[in-house]
Parts: sequence; C-alpha cells; structure tokens
Amino acid sequence: MNTLKLEIVTPEGLIFSGNVKNVTLPGSEGEFGVYPNHASLVSLLKAGVIDIELEDSKHEIVAINWGHAKVSENSVTVLADGAVAISGGSDSQVAESLAKAKELIKSIGESSIAIATATAKIESMSKSGILKL
Amino acid sequence: MSSLKEIKRKIKSVENTKKTTRAMKLVSTAKLNRAKIAAQQSRVYADKINEVLSEIAFKINQYKVGGIESRFFDEISSPKKVDIIFVTADKGLCGGFNIQTIKAVSNLMQEYKSKKIKVRLRGVGKKGLAYFKFKDIELHSEYVGVSSSPSYEKASEIIKDAIDDFIKGVTDKIILVHNGYLNMISQELKIVDLVPVNPPEYFEEESSKSMMELEPEEDETILESLMKKYFEYNMYYALIDSLAAEHSARMQAMENATNNATERVEMLTLAYNKARQESITTELIEIISGVESMK
Repeated sequence: MNTLKLEIVTPEGLIFSGNVKNVTLPGSEGEFGVYPNHASLVSLLKAGVIDIELEDSKHEIVAINWGHAKVSENSVTVLADGAVAISGGSDSQVAESLAKAKELIKSIGESSIAIATATAKIESMSKSGILKL
Repeated sequence: MSSLKEIKRKIKSVENTKKTTRAMKLVSTAKLNRAKIAAQQSRVYADKINEVLSEIAFKINQYKVGGIESRFFDEISSPKKVDIIFVTADKGLCGGFNIQTIKAVSNLMQEYKSKKIKVRLRGVGKKGLAYFKFKDIELHSEYVGVSSSPSYEKASEIIKDAIDDFIKGVTDKIILVHNGYLNMISQELKIVDLVPVNPPEYFEEESSKSMMELEPEEDETILESLMKKYFEYNMYYALIDSLAAEHSARMQAMENATNNATERVEMLTLAYNKARQESITTELIEIISGVESMK
C-alpha cells in the first residue's frame, strides 16, 4: 500500500516524522488533503490543524500557527513556526495539549473564525475516538 | 639564580591564573550545554528549509516555472559584487576560534580580488571587526553584542540589509562564514553560499518527476516569505551554531591553560625546593666553617 513520508519541523525541533496514509493541511487558500502520488506543490499554510491518518488508520492531530508545506509525490514536508501535537496517554494530558494548541493559534491573532474552526475540529476528532492517543 | 621570594611570588601568580582559567572553563561548560541543545534543536529546521529551498531551486531551474525569474535561483556565472557575512565572538580567550573564521574570510577576499570581484564585508562579533579594522579593511556594517546572546529578531535585522541589497541588484552573491559546533572538542568552519541557492546536482528520480505548483499562485508571496524565512533562519542558525562552537573552543582552550598552569606550578615548586635546599646548605657550611675557625 502506498504511503507518504510526512515530516513536520519547527524551530524547536522535529514534531512528527513517519509514514502516513494521507494528511490534511490548512492551506492559506483553503484546506487540502494530500494522498500518495500528489503533484508537486509548495503552499503557504495558515493557522489551523494538520490531520494525519496513520498507517493503522488512526488519526493524529498537530496544530500549527503558520508555515509552509512542500509536497512531492511521496513526501510532505511541513515547515511550521510553531506546532503542538495533540497527544498523551490520559484524558488530562490530552486536555493539556488541547489547551496549548488553542493558545498557539490564538497567539498569532488569527481571526476568531480560524480559532473556532480549529478548536471545533480538534474537539470533534478527540471525541469521536479516532485519535491515536 | 632567582631568589626564594621571587619564585614564591611566581608560584602564587600562576596559581591565581589557574583559578581563573578553571572558573572560565566551568562557566563555558555550563553555557556550552545550553547552547548545544539550542543548536541541535534548530539544526533540524535549518537542514529541512535548506533542503526544501534547494529542491525548489532545482525545479525552478529545470522547468522555468511560471514566470518566476527570481534572482534567488539564477546562477550567476560572473558575479560583480559579493557580500560576505562573517560571525566571530565578542570575546577572546577561546583558542583559534576567531582566527579560523578571520583567515577563511581573508582567503575568500583574496580569491575574489584575484578574479576582480568586489567584496563587501558585514561582520558580527567584536573580535573579527577589530581585526579587519586593524588591517584597514573596510567593513560595510558591524554588529556587536549579538554573538553572545543570539535571538531571531537580531538575526533577521542583520540579514535584512543584505537581502535588500541583493534584491535591488547591488550584490550578486551572499556568503555566510561562521564556525560551527561539531562535538565537544572540535569545531567546524562553515562557508555557506546563501544566494543564489545552489540546486543539488543529483536528485532522486521520483522527486523530480513533476513540475511544481505554488499556492497561492497569483503572486510570488509564497516564495518571498519562504526565502525570507530561509535567510533569517540560516542567519539565526549561524549565530547559535557559532555560539556553541565558541563555548566548546573556550572550554578546550581553558582546559589546556589550566593544565599548563598546573605543570608550571609543579616546575616552579621544584625550583623553589631546590633553591631552599641550596640556601640551607650554604647556611650550614657557613656555620660549620665559622665553628671550625673558632677552634
């Protein structure tokens, strides 16, 4: 089965690296999904969440504030200014990283709509239980 | 033969020096740990952004993607004016750290001068600036106080001028020279051509199959913002990396100094003991001969 190699890096270090089924990125012109064999593309990213579908069909979420994405056939590289991975073993840890992610998006003074969509997405995904936690 | 008192004073002085160098070593070790972590963290990002940029450069050169005749990627066969940005420390006492960078910059200047290419220097760090001022070499801009506490804002401020000149066409090339951290005991001199971005000669086939699209596509904002990030981050990384290297160089230099001081104290103590013994012997002989003559 085809997979994409995804890497998310920030000035603080590597946030995510691994093979994924597909990934949804918050492009400045709108959200877009990337599957394997996507055409080469460089895009500006706005504040929002990156939705990653892992090989085992579980999902992982990374919130970013601003960045660039470079897509080629089999790899996606995201260069973000700040990123928070929503993860953790227990509910409280998840809640904590959720709060951090919200703060990150808020911190750049993005419109309240962006914050609302991002947080709504994070919350709905964490409730639906498809997140790999 | 130096007198006892004199030797004793020397020992004391060397011991004081030893205390200083040892303290400096400890301070550098502590600072190095922090600087090292910062450098390692940002290395990932710096590597990635360079990789992305060189891939873009490759594709732009190969496909001449939609009207982006950006100067950033044009390979210039005969540059007329080159900007060299170098990073040295504000402080000395770190072995060959500063000299290494200075030498590299001087060599580059020689090389370009022989090709009749104008060179402009932009310097960061007191030590490097002082050297070129002493040699009466003109410095285009000087930045002091950045190398000891690098920050992203300061880095972007330094590089901004250089980019503006490049975009306006005043300069044709920007080279960044700095010392980088390799490991605890060695540093590595890095000479990076910032622009024009050199595309790698070889690419894995799969990654260069298709043309590259840019989004948003109507203007060049995306490339501009990416380039800006690229410059600023490279500058920032150069500062952090240089700081880590400076501390590791100083740590080593101070360790050597401490060892040398220890050796010197040992030698002096030996000389002191010898001198003491000699004076005792002389005194004894005097006493004995005095007693002998009384008989």
